[in-house]
Amino acid sequence: MTVAAGAGYALIALGPAFSLFAGVIAKKPFLVLTLLSSTLFWLVSLIVLSGIWRGFLPLKSGAWWPYVILILTSVAFQEGVRLVFWRLYKKVEEMLDAFADRIAKPRLCLTDKMLISLAGGLGHGLAHAVFFCLSLLTPAFGQATFYVERCSRMPFFLVSAIISLGFLVIHTFSMIIAFNGYGERKKSDQIFVPVVHLIAAVMTLINLAPGGCLIGTPLLCVMAALTLQYSWRMVGQRLTEHEH
Amino acid sequence: MADGGPAPAVAVPVPVPGGGAPATILDSLGEDITRIVGPVSTCMLIVVLLVSILSSPSSPSPLTAALNTASAAGAGDDLTSALITAGTFVVCVTAATFLMALLFYFRCTPCLRAYMGFSAIWVLLALGGQICLLLLSRLRLPLDAVSFALLLPNAVAALAVAAVSPASVPIALHQAALLAIAVLTAFWFTLLPEWTTWALLVAMAVYDLGAVLIPGGPLRVLLELAMERNEEIPALIYEARPVDPRHGQNWRLWASRQPPAGDFDPTSTVEVLGTRSNSADLDPSLRQFLVPNLSSNPANAQAREVLALPETRVDIAALRVPLIQPQPDRTREDSDSHDEDGIGLGSSGAIKLGLGDFIFYSVLVGRAAMYDYMTVYACYLAIIGGLGVTLLLLAFFRKALPALPVSITLGVLFYVLTRTLLENFVMQCSTNLLMF
Repeated sequence: MTVAAGAGYALIALGPAFSLFAGVIAKKPFLVLTLLSSTLFWLVSLIVLSGIWRGFLPLKSGAWWPYVILILTSVAFQEGVRLVFWRLYKKVEEMLDAFADRIAKPRLCLTDKMLISLAGGLGHGLAHAVFFCLSLLTPAFGQATFYVERCSRMPFFLVSAIISLGFLVIHTFSMIIAFNGYGERKKSDQIFVPVVHLIAAVMTLINLAPGGCLIGTPLLCVMAALTLQYSWRMVGQRLTEHEH
Repeated sequence: MADGGPAPAVAVPVPVPGGGAPATILDSLGEDITRIVGPVSTCMLIVVLLVSILSSPSSPSPLTAALNTASAAGAGDDLTSALITAGTFVVCVTAATFLMALLFYFRCTPCLRAYMGFSAIWVLLALGGQICLLLLSRLRLPLDAVSFALLLPNAVAALAVAAVSPASVPIALHQAALLAIAVLTAFWFTLLPEWTTWALLVAMAVYDLGAVLIPGGPLRVLLELAMERNEEIPALIYEARPVDPRHGQNWRLWASRQPPAGDFDPTSTVEVLGTRSNSADLDPSLRQFLVPNLSSNPANAQAREVLALPETRVDIAALRVPLIQPQPDRTREDSDSHDEDGIGLGSSGAIKLGLGDFIFYSVLVGRAAMYDYMTVYACYLAIIGGLGVTLLLLAFFRKALPALPVSITLGVLFYVLTRTLLENFVMQCSTNLLMF
């Protein structure tokens, strides 16, 4: 595909990430470091997953049930990794609070904690977009483009860019919801995140059916919008009740 | 001893996230690390771009590369010749570093500075000119020979002066010149055959570990000499720009420095190398003295003064040394450029990273770029993670540490894992439009 088209696809997948980065994260260096470390975390989890599944690949393209197992194990593993990330974050928060006390500065306030969880979620989403979408775009510059049989209406890169966008939004905002849920011990938040992740991943299974991507991809965007709306409501609630 | 900093406002968070909350430590924490990660990333990015533009037209796709590497192993690029080359290189570097230590011992500073200047000019002129010519021909830019012959020596002279004598140029130009030298050297290294490059990287990482930490190692000898004499080693070192105090909170621990008498300029962003003699504090205990740091006055002060005025404490900020005590850092000499390796704290207290580290990180990423971009992203994250770990260790141990081993190990590990495991998995999933 041409460079212009390639740049367009990359911006579809990563545009919101860039604006979040430039607007929120780049202003505070600690958030940049959080973003980098959470990206590294997600990459390590992906490598472990690929190590586990190495023996079973390549999967036969006809059967769809191995893919179900793949998706289920991957989502379960990643939610487990999110819990580990949460534990690490608690330790870092303790250290930062102790440090702030030592130099007589205010401790981390609520918006700070939410910003850190936003940076963590954005790191995950960015890693997803980079490894699943961007790394396939760049070798494909040149003439012609690529269509998958099962999805013959749209170029492959466009579909993967839209899916990456959906997952970027889901990862970013579900981290905020998850951290809030673990911190406040609210069951509804804690359940919401893995369920949404699972549903979104299962929806991509629809793409396996011929012509399925026309249904699966918009549904994924609906899930992303749902996550966004839930996170917005939750954050608004937390901030108003914190004020009082 | 730090009592009331800027008065913390009573926090009433506004409903908009990220709105006008009072300034907390999150605003400027970690800024000095970002100021080192930024230039390292820029150097790697430029090398990756150069490699992508200038690599041969038949650059391997993931499929053909797998076939090629299987068959190209016998084309003079096999393991034994790679190991021999890497071993020879390490031996040369060790010898050169010992020579440099000897020259430093005999206080032959003009020799060292002349060598530094010569190597900077050589890298910029020969390698830089060659790469410019390649770029001009590949991108088909219109530039005639006469203009090129005029522009190149002028640019080279300006950058070489900026790299070698940092005190006389703005710090941004000095850093840009150092980055240019690092980029050019790294690109040249990526032109080596594949196995040789990897063997060289691993050998340099092992050498780095030994040379800094083993008591007889050349770099350690050089460092101890420098510490005894309280002098800076004249070499090409990248020092992160010191943080402007007026932006952030001064949460930094201060080294007890000798301020020049009565000079309180907190905005002096001072470069380090070459002409300054720093009276490095060798006392490893951490003390929180708020002393204004540095002016660029080299011949200063043996007196220790501590400023206890509360109102100056807040303003002073600055200066450096975020986490650790300043130690002169170690040197490593490259075969063609007088670089320094390793990580430590400058006399101004900012984090110092040797140019050799920049070069070898970029070589690793550049070599990964010759395979595929997925390896580039993975190796980039691994190297930055390794750099972060090294900085943490630096904060913990508070002495000069080798910056290569952790990052190179992680980089090579992630390269191998990505190439063998990750790529198949991701290709399988994404060509079926399955993502999670």
